[in-house]
Amino acid sequence: MFDVDKVRADFPILKRKIHGHDLVYLDSGATSQKPESVIKAMDDYYRNTNANIHRGVYELSVESTRLVDEARKKVADFIGARTEEVIFTRNASESLNLVMYSWGRDNIKKEDAVLISKLEHHSNLVPWQELCRETGAELRIIDVDGEGKLVMRTQELKNSRTQDEVLTENGLKVRLGGFEGLIADGKVKLFAVTGASNVLGTIPDLAGMLTAIKRKAQNATVVVDASQMVPHMKVDVKTLGADFIAFSGHKMLGPTGTGVLWGKKEVLSKMRPFLFGGDMIGEVIITGATWADLPSRFEAGTPDIAGIIGLGAAVDYLEGLGMDNVRHHEKDLMVYALKKMVELQDEELVTVYGPKDVEERGGALAFNVIGVHPHDAAQILDNFGIAVRSGQHCAAPLVTGFGVPAMVRATFYVYNTKKEIDYLVDKIREIPKIFT
Amino acid sequence: MSDYKDIIIDHYKNPRNFGEMDRADISMDESNASCGDMIQIQVKTETRTDGVRLPHPDGIGVRNDEGGDLVIKEMKWRGVGCAISTAAASMLSEKIVGMNREDLEKFGEAGIVEMLGGEVNVGRMKCATLAYRGLLKIFNNE
Ligand SMILES: Cc1ncc(COP(=O)(O)O)c(C=O)c1O
Repeated sequence: MFDVDKVRADFPILKRKIHGHDLVYLDSGATSQKPESVIKAMDDYYRNTNANIHRGVYELSVESTRLVDEARKKVADFIGARTEEVIFTRNASESLNLVMYSWGRDNIKKEDAVLISKLEHHSNLVPWQELCRETGAELRIIDVDGEGKLVMRTQELKNSRTQDEVLTENGLKVRLGGFEGLIADGKVKLFAVTGASNVLGTIPDLAGMLTAIKRKAQNATVVVDASQMVPHMKVDVKTLGADFIAFSGHKMLGPTGTGVLWGKKEVLSKMRPFLFGGDMIGEVIITGATWADLPSRFEAGTPDIAGIIGLGAAVDYLEGLGMDNVRHHEKDLMVYALKKMVELQDEELVTVYGPKDVEERGGALAFNVIGVHPHDAAQILDNFGIAVRSGQHCAAPLVTGFGVPAMVRATFYVYNTKKEIDYLVDKIREIPKIFT
Repeated sequence: MSDYKDIIIDHYKNPRNFGEMDRADISMDESNASCGDMIQIQVKTETRTDGVRLPHPDGIGVRNDEGGDLVIKEMKWRGVGCAISTAAASMLSEKIVGMNREDLEKFGEAGIVEMLGGEVNVGRMKCATLAYRGLLKIFNNE
């Protein structure tokens, strides 16, 4: 049974007061809060075990190395992977950059196309813009409809465009259109797509798209930005159909400074290292070096040892809750929040963005208070102790595509409650009063 | 609501010098990449050589050295922004009259905070200084 009060008791920060009010933390999409067990695991490590890994024969180093190995095993089991396929990075952005620099530069050629979607976070957009600019490959972007869902056929676009839009700037060629048209010529060599939008919550039909793409371009490599997926739902890389997935530890109750790149062993073992230096080498002579085996080959230098151990504890915590329960809890909150927000929308107080069907959306709820700039709305909510994010959420093309410069976003996680949503809705009602 | 003092609400609702100028001497755009706010600033300037300038109501603009000096005579602005950036642009459009580059630099971010009532949340400094940064650009590209 999922008991949210019990969950809340595990998060020390939830006892904090903000401007005299209880903290209502609705920004887990940016980074999640951390349970006591994660904080304690890291604290214990520094107090009792601290030593570098792989470098000493002495007890502390051996223990540290074992703790990191165990954490890797936990993460691997959590996503259904083999341990050597789990590479620790600083965050999802670094994971995606690793793929771009190491795999992308060796495999993407001028005649290829890279396919992404308009839902992407800048971390899964800008690296591919740069790769395509460098290589001359075409960047193809699946457009979104008015609900923020991916458009399958160009004809279904809201402005009933019947053709793809093509833009060229600074040597980068971009084609914007529906999924089916963009994959038709079989030129897509890389498909990098989000598993869930951090702004609108949209959960694209990955399975459907991956089947379609393999039919048109058998050898296409698939990267899933799972930053908003792994923290919120069960992910199994064995059935997902991706070659790589990237996510951040800090959005799944783990510490900042930790991220993961998972890659299929067959793909990773053919890749050149991205960063060079200590720990990633096999043999070094004065004129060169050989590379270590996976995963060390992609982990140059001393990693965030305490962070990785903390991430392992976060995985334990989530496993303890059960990922199906986590998804269920968030869906429950989203159904409730959407209903309340649609009521506000009917009263012409707010505009709500994103898919209406909760089966197609994760725990992100983007909205605007009509006539009030999102920064002002967010700051007024902060005065009531509510932490929401305002701005473009690292997805400028997506947000501005809705004809607004910015949005307010509330994101839900394991510790949020319906009572908090009631409080949010109540305080949203206060906002316009301040400006009239 | 401590962050939204009456003066901010007043300038937000009735922004001064909002609009476009017929014949501007210099135009400049400035934006906040992370929040999508944008401002276009237009100014009329004059070059003073007599060592005496339009006196500024706050006394900031008075200078006494000699030589040519670019001074803002009038400012108009347009854009999309939040209450903080809008109020700051509106207030600054009045304060800037009679200032040269040195005056503006001296006014600084501290002057902006002061102007907005003495308190700006660090997360909102980018909003508060949007127009200010646009004006600095105007002087720096003169
Ligand atoms: C969908 C998505 N991708 C990538 C990222 C980048 O994560 P990080 O900042 O940890 O690299 C985020 C975080 O905001 C995200 O939501």
